[in-house]
Amino acid sequence: MKTLGSLLLWLTDHGYQVLVAGAVVALCVRNLATRRKVVRWLLIFGGLVVGSVFLAAAYGKMKPLPGLAWSWPSVKASMAFFAMQVESYQLLSPGAANALAHLLPFFELFLGLWLVSGIARRFSSVLASLAICGFMVAITSAYARGLKIDCGCGIGPPEEVGPRALLRDGLKFLLPALLVLIGAFWIRQKREEPAAAEPVPTTKSAA
Amino acid sequence: MNSQTEISIGKIRRERRARWPRTLRLLLPLSVLSLAVPLATIAQTKHTSAKPAGIAAPQKSYGSPSAPIVMEVFSDYQCPSCRSLFENTLRPMIDDYVAAGKVYLVHRDFPLPAHKYGYQASRWANAAASVGHEQFAKVEAALYDNQASWSNDGNIEKFVETALSSADLKRVQKLMEGCEASPTASLPGANLRNVAATAAGCAFDPFIEQDRALGQRIPVQATPTFVFTHKGLRLPPSSGVISWQILKQFFDSLLGQ
Repeated sequence: MKTLGSLLLWLTDHGYQVLVAGAVVALCVRNLATRRKVVRWLLIFGGLVVGSVFLAAAYGKMKPLPGLAWSWPSVKASMAFFAMQVESYQLLSPGAANALAHLLPFFELFLGLWLVSGIARRFSSVLASLAICGFMVAITSAYARGLKIDCGCGIGPPEEVGPRALLRDGLKFLLPALLVLIGAFWIRQKREEPAAAEPVPTTKSAA
Repeated sequence: MNSQTEISIGKIRRERRARWPRTLRLLLPLSVLSLAVPLATIAQTKHTSAKPAGIAAPQKSYGSPSAPIVMEVFSDYQCPSCRSLFENTLRPMIDDYVAAGKVYLVHRDFPLPAHKYGYQASRWANAAASVGHEQFAKVEAALYDNQASWSNDGNIEKFVETALSSADLKRVQKLMEGCEASPTASLPGANLRNVAATAAGCAFDPFIEQDRALGQRIPVQATPTFVFTHKGLRLPPSSGVISWQILKQFFDSLLGQ
């Protein structure tokens, strides 16, 4: 469990660096078939990276508070604590903030597993990108209004909303999600092109 | 586009559509898994140990110290968010959960340099607390209720007078001798250590500085910041304005452990 946790954290912290390097390599490769192979491998790794971000976020929000053991009441207490962080953004009513705080961790868990699985990667990466963009908009709004609150990301140590949190979210979370999104659509496009160009065989008539 | 290409593309699209139910069938276990993972983790009960947090004896508090939850609020009397928290959240909490012995509320002074009269307001509150808890509660309420007025001109004493009886007021005024706001203290951004030095002889400054030092260790980045202690274990700090509805839910979840 600890090894898995360490791996998740490493992917969250450094995965974007490997992805960016891989994207540069893919762009430099001239041979189309080789490029497709590189992109396919990058997509698998990218899915792991972006999936790790959401899995780590879900874990951070659900893990028991200090002194509490894993149990449904302790998970509920953690989500109630997260509800306070959501409300501190002062964007939603208490009811809406509460509902979001209780649904978001499960949504992040589902999306993380979906990304890691590689199923329908185009759609999972679109959803991931939209979710991260929405979060960055909320942070920007809180910062613009002068709020000094914890971002509530659940990943790593507490980070105050501000340019630093935005830079971290943009670089480590949004960039990998966008790279996976672009790669997934590019691969799909390349897959359709040869099939579209392939001639349909015609039957020979008897002489 | 020729007819053969159209046929190929049509074939691809039909294959893609046929694949959709399969995709959905694959997604369904994922949905179940996302609910099952927390359950599985709960099954392996892992006890996390944490050091118990030490709490110094507070002077400005509400409720019973033996309550299962302790809530320390680091605030500045001139901070509008602190006022909002006090009026909308802490007041109903004091009437409900504090009165019922579920929560022990502790006020910690954390006057910010940007607030011209915040430090002086803390001195008045501390003086009232020295007279008695009831007097402190009245003065604190008066400070927050009239924040908009005294924030402009610094005339805090006017509102302390209206909150206390004449006998209590005389006692508080006697305690406040030597605690008059110094000219340097009124400058925005004034170093608060200088405030303590220039108003040498003010008996309450060490208490305020003690609270501020405690806040800096947490660290308190803004006001209001609150720290919860549950069964002797300190939880991560939170800041910002929260509603009583959300806070109550959190208390209920802790009390239900």
